[in-house]
Amino acid sequence: MLTSKVSKYLMRGSLGARTLTARPAGVFPAFLHTDCGRLSAVSQHAHNPKPDWNKAVSEAEKIVGYPTSFLSLRWLLSDEIANVALHLRKLVGSNHPLLKTAKGLLYNGKNNMQAWGLIVLLLSKAAGHHNVNEMEEDKAAGVLHSQRALAEVTEMIRTSHLVHKGLVNIHPGLVEEGAVLNDMTFGNKIALLSGDYLLSNCCVELAALRNQEITELMSSAVRDLTESEFVGQRDQQNNPIPSHPSECSAVDDWTLRSELSGGRLLGKSCEGTLRLAGHNKEFSKEGYKFGKHLALAWQACLDMEPFMPSAQHSTGVGFSLVSAPVLFHLEYDSSLYNLIQVGAENVNDVDYAKIQSIVSKGPGLAMTKRLRQEHSQKAMEVLAAFEQNDARTALSNIIVAMGEL
Amino acid sequence: MACLGSVRLCARVEKLCQIGQNAQVRRKASSVRLKQFVDQPLTRSALKSCQTAVAGSRLLSSVRSQQPGSLPEYRVDPYQLVDDDLKNVHFDVQEELRRHTSHDELYTIAQYYFDGQGKCLRPMLCLLFSHALNFHIHKKDMPLLESQRRVAMISEMVHSASLIHDDVIDCSDFRRGKPSVNVLWNHKKVAMSGDFILAVASILIARINNDDVTICLGQVLTDLVQGEFMQLGSKETENERFTHYLTKTYRKTASLIANYLKAESMLAGADEGLTELAFQYGRNVGLAFQLVDDLLDFVASSSALGKPAAADLKLGLATAPVLFACEKYPELNAMIMRRFQEPGDVEHAFDLVHKSQGLEQTQFLARKHCVEAQRLAERIAESPYQKGLLVVTDLVLNRMK
Repeated sequence: MLTSKVSKYLMRGSLGARTLTARPAGVFPAFLHTDCGRLSAVSQHAHNPKPDWNKAVSEAEKIVGYPTSFLSLRWLLSDEIANVALHLRKLVGSNHPLLKTAKGLLYNGKNNMQAWGLIVLLLSKAAGHHNVNEMEEDKAAGVLHSQRALAEVTEMIRTSHLVHKGLVNIHPGLVEEGAVLNDMTFGNKIALLSGDYLLSNCCVELAALRNQEITELMSSAVRDLTESEFVGQRDQQNNPIPSHPSECSAVDDWTLRSELSGGRLLGKSCEGTLRLAGHNKEFSKEGYKFGKHLALAWQACLDMEPFMPSAQHSTGVGFSLVSAPVLFHLEYDSSLYNLIQVGAENVNDVDYAKIQSIVSKGPGLAMTKRLRQEHSQKAMEVLAAFEQNDARTALSNIIVAMGEL
Repeated sequence: MACLGSVRLCARVEKLCQIGQNAQVRRKASSVRLKQFVDQPLTRSALKSCQTAVAGSRLLSSVRSQQPGSLPEYRVDPYQLVDDDLKNVHFDVQEELRRHTSHDELYTIAQYYFDGQGKCLRPMLCLLFSHALNFHIHKKDMPLLESQRRVAMISEMVHSASLIHDDVIDCSDFRRGKPSVNVLWNHKKVAMSGDFILAVASILIARINNDDVTICLGQVLTDLVQGEFMQLGSKETENERFTHYLTKTYRKTASLIANYLKAESMLAGADEGLTELAFQYGRNVGLAFQLVDDLLDFVASSSALGKPAAADLKLGLATAPVLFACEKYPELNAMIMRRFQEPGDVEHAFDLVHKSQGLEQTQFLARKHCVEAQRLAERIAESPYQKGLLVVTDLVLNRMK
């Protein structure tokens, strides 16, 4: 089962590589050129009124070479991953969330991790580099090998965090059957080790860069991610529950959570990649801003999805109780808090359909949209300082496409 | 009057008793450190007699627990030698952790094992070796570099982070005589706290600002994880099993000590030969340490260990004593393959190990590594610290917990 997915992935990878050789990096389709300052891509998309997210991403991938996922052949063939795959098979049929995480890594949804490494590489290429040894450059893609490694590390850090987050809190009364308990214990073991494996590889890859500033920066990004799991009230599975709206403002709460759980990672990776290219600290800080705001815009975008009119018929299980629309609604009408408190022990106890319908009718969605625009705008402003090139265009296309999701 | 006096006397006696009790408690707390063993050691000569006299684990354990008044060969206490730096290690770690987070719960979990109760073997070795090397290179007693002190502290952080994750993996209940972290907090938060300690350790490593040190210490993490992966599966044949065990032992325990000592020597400005010596000394001490650890799992009481006895068997792990015992009792093979899962397996295996020469053979192997470590340490210029490095191997071999 796993192997078929893997081979599907690999096929996709090899296809990507072939298109790359057919179309060198410089010859990029003209229709993706946009005026990033105005946040629009209207004329270029005349034949297709809705900019296609997948297209924006897959075109962007070609600019920097190949898909940057760490799930490359090298990784799949390593002993430990083979070992993990073997153990994962034992978990098939159990309910352990690790399977879901693994599936998420192999499938390519729009929330895919690969996009993170891609952003880092695109920004690297958009900014160019100074005074660097020729040997260190990947000429075809226009980025440095060290930058590619950093992009890979970014994805590994994020993945390892997701995998560790996917552990199950085993507490008395969680499961009745011994067999299920064994599955859960075993799943936790594998999840913990797999995450550790990724983290240890990050350390090795970072060390190989021989750049202690970058090592420190990225280590602090790992620290930020761990902190994100300790913000605010939690249910028994450590799912976040909003604080009472009287305690803090919705925007502040959301921003803190989103920054810790992703914004700082992407920000620091973008900052780091500019430092690797020899840019000064001040300019690199702009990279941080870009990454952070892009990640926050992204988060806002994901938060909106369950409350869009198009999502109404799918009875909404599975949105986060601290997603922006819910937090905004709580601030607007704190009586919603009664419905949320039902989930104090287990977030699955709340009536998602009811909350979904209440929030959809309130101002939360519109406010989230504004939040997303704000962050998109800030990311775009950073880009405006860059010279016009295909990588910059691809980045602005991704931001635009995000706005239309 | 007399009556009053006797009452007063009684009160005094009572008070004295209390003081005595307090002192006892205090001693108990401090004896958790290996330090105490030098005051009541098994000397080398005692060891030798032990070697010849050993005939079964009963005797072994009784030799271990008796406290002869004989004079130790060395009046050197490795812990005492580096006490100035060592006593603050846990406090310094706590301070660093606190500096890196504003979330109280994260801090509370992360600092849980830095309570001054651990053996601090790794930082002790780092500090001792750094002193010895500095003396060797500069031909006189030199203060430690700040970076050397940092590396010693980081060794304890990385070790504790791995303990925290081990606790979740093994679902252990007790460690160091108190409830394990995973008993007190939920698994997700515990896993995150381990990652947090690791992240802070990586930040501190980066701040030492030495590329080779960062590379060297990064290797430790991969080894730790790979060792843990090796522990998951035991599909190898009987012949491969011992190699598998030794590789696993290197990765899980020895690699950390070996590479941290190597990093210390790099910071001291050692040449390649000396760096390799540091690595090999650490590797041998690490291997011996783990072999003794596996041995103690069979002979020491759970109260001495601070964790349940025969814990390895219960986890399904076949350590050196079992693997040695296999030669005499092949029926152990089947039990190893099913990871001691069937009822009675653990008890049966435990008995067979005690009936076999497994424990003596394990100790013999541990001693071999200690002798090799001593041989290496003797190549360093003579100094109290260098003597300390020799004594450490005895401590490792003769420890009771």
